[in-house]
Amino acid sequence: MNKEEVSQKSKSILNAQDSRLKYIVCNLKSVFLLLLFTTYCLLSSAFTGCAKKEDTIKIGVAGPMTGDQAKMGTDLKNGVELAVSEWNEKGGALGKKIELLVEDDQHDPKFAVTVANKLSNSGAAGVIGHWNSSASIPASEVYKDRGYIPMITPASTNPQLTERGFENVFRVCGRDDQQGMIAAEFVVKNLKIKKVAIIHDKTTYGQGLANEFKKAMGNAAEIVYYGVVIQGDKDFRAVLTSIKDKRPELIYFGGIYPEAGLLVKQAKELGIKAPFMSGDGTIDKEFIKIAGKENTEGTYLTFSPDPSNIPTAKTFLDKYHAKYGEHGPYSIYAYDAANILLTGISKAGAVDGKKVSEALHNFAYEGALGAIRFDQKGDVLKAPYIVWITKDGEFKEYWKPAE
Amino acid sequence: MFIQQLINGLTLGSVYALIALGYTMVYGILQIINFAHGEIYMIGAYMAIIVLGILTAAGLTAVNLPLSILLVFIISGLFCGMYGLTLERVAYRPLRHAHRLSPLISAIGMSIFLQNYVMLTQGTVDKVFPHIIPSTGMEITGASISYLQIFILAASFILMTALHLFIKKTRLGKAMRATSQDSRMASLVGINVDSVIAVTFVIGSILAATAGVMVAMYYGSVNFFIGYTAGIKAFTAAVLGGIGNIPGAMLGGLLLGLVEGLGASYISSEYKDVFAFLILILVLIFRPTGLLGERVGEKV
Repeated sequence: MNKEEVSQKSKSILNAQDSRLKYIVCNLKSVFLLLLFTTYCLLSSAFTGCAKKEDTIKIGVAGPMTGDQAKMGTDLKNGVELAVSEWNEKGGALGKKIELLVEDDQHDPKFAVTVANKLSNSGAAGVIGHWNSSASIPASEVYKDRGYIPMITPASTNPQLTERGFENVFRVCGRDDQQGMIAAEFVVKNLKIKKVAIIHDKTTYGQGLANEFKKAMGNAAEIVYYGVVIQGDKDFRAVLTSIKDKRPELIYFGGIYPEAGLLVKQAKELGIKAPFMSGDGTIDKEFIKIAGKENTEGTYLTFSPDPSNIPTAKTFLDKYHAKYGEHGPYSIYAYDAANILLTGISKAGAVDGKKVSEALHNFAYEGALGAIRFDQKGDVLKAPYIVWITKDGEFKEYWKPAE
Repeated sequence: MFIQQLINGLTLGSVYALIALGYTMVYGILQIINFAHGEIYMIGAYMAIIVLGILTAAGLTAVNLPLSILLVFIISGLFCGMYGLTLERVAYRPLRHAHRLSPLISAIGMSIFLQNYVMLTQGTVDKVFPHIIPSTGMEITGASISYLQIFILAASFILMTALHLFIKKTRLGKAMRATSQDSRMASLVGINVDSVIAVTFVIGSILAATAGVMVAMYYGSVNFFIGYTAGIKAFTAAVLGGIGNIPGAMLGGLLLGLVEGLGASYISSEYKDVFAFLILILVLIFRPTGLLGERVGEKV
């Protein structure tokens, strides 16, 4: 070690001592500041925060607000927002204003649980959401454990959601077993198809729907291929090439539009001519945008009837269009779900999870979609699914099952 | 079906190979893994959509489609080349003589930064590449090959040959080889090592941008996260071929694409990504130098 190094070393030791001193001083300062800050917070919350809390009824909205399914989350949020602003104009519920808590679950089951805990902690009186079945199912358990906070999902169709006997879980949409049945009936009776390939995206919704469809098909047609794609992936050519080899007359997909769009596009590029069919997760303009207009010609999907043809929906649609522009497939469901929840709270007369859940089971609501009434499980009594077709870049009603 | 899977795999593989070249070139010279390289590829894909959008608005795509596609490649390549240059200046040059782990951490930091930067500026929703390229193709013994696939294969092959010639035949290529063998000696004989390194980054980034543009056209939709998986797969391809070895990266990329395509169709599509990483682990255990590599990857 030469002289220079030695002097540097001693310098650094000195520096270290110096900085330790500084650190302690700094710490004292910050402790003091922290104390000041907390006292301030305590004081201010005592005067304003607490008073404010009593003033509002909080309603949670949870869904995929960011990510590839963000469009659905936004539709959901807008629908609820519209309902809440109408209630607030009329003076709110139980004499209190309604406050909206919007949370993003990124269509991820893990985030859904975090979001559910967050909403429960902030005292949400009820939740509209989530959008994806894979998010709704784990979240519903949190809401149940945290005092039966009622949740009404506008879009989660997996049967499992309401099959577990939770009193606080409701949905205003149909179920995948109903949807799968209608799809199978259409394929067998109307298209008279004998060979079907089935793909799903491994999510609770996609896999559930694909399995319900498979079950409903029974022996009416041969399932020549049953496979999986990974959500978020962009290249499905390997799966599609295997399918092409099996020469199915129809490809059924359980999943959401980002993958559905790419599947349709890549299938056409590989020269697959079999028509494509999917469930309610693909009814969005993005599906056509991703797949390309000409590739989506003649693709089928199952969904409820077009709200534009429901007379009761007109006021809602006019208001929604004026405020947010074009309505999404689930905007109207979110709107009705929010109205039902707020009516439930008013009828229960208190912000109490158990009471509100009980009230929700016991009335019929005349909403934008028509009359909605929940059964004991929390499903809607009537869930009319119909088959839609894509023509000229638009989704159109196509086929109704015989009554 | 086998031929179809073969073509799908080769197309995917040539894209991996193009990205892998950037990893391997940088490693060859600096012995660092540029983990932000996948993000450059992602930015290239975004640039394709942005530039094409501008050209469509200007009305050029309707008049001359091949010219506008060419412009997309050039502008996206230049743009990403600049990103590569800046990346080297900001994240690696200040750490040139630091401990070997520092640039690695800096690289990961840059990767996270770029990903979030694109997420915040471009949004989280998938961007769709306009459907202007005809999806037609030809049929060969039951397999349909789209012209786009042929284009991707041909363009990658031309680019790789050009790179090979550039490194073997030109003065700058010779300087690059000299720097990768011994950068100190190279600077002693009058090679400007800093500028050689900068050129390496620019070339690697242009190749990644080309891969990005081709993927944007091929898949048709792009999001801010695609650089992550593609980057790791291309890194696997580089390791498979022998990191630091340029023909190795090309071979590794093509092999990886084939394994993925064939594995997904004959074994299980659920495990598509597993195959790539299985290869990475197997290569690192049994042949850390890769298929064509001479150097042991102990510096990683």
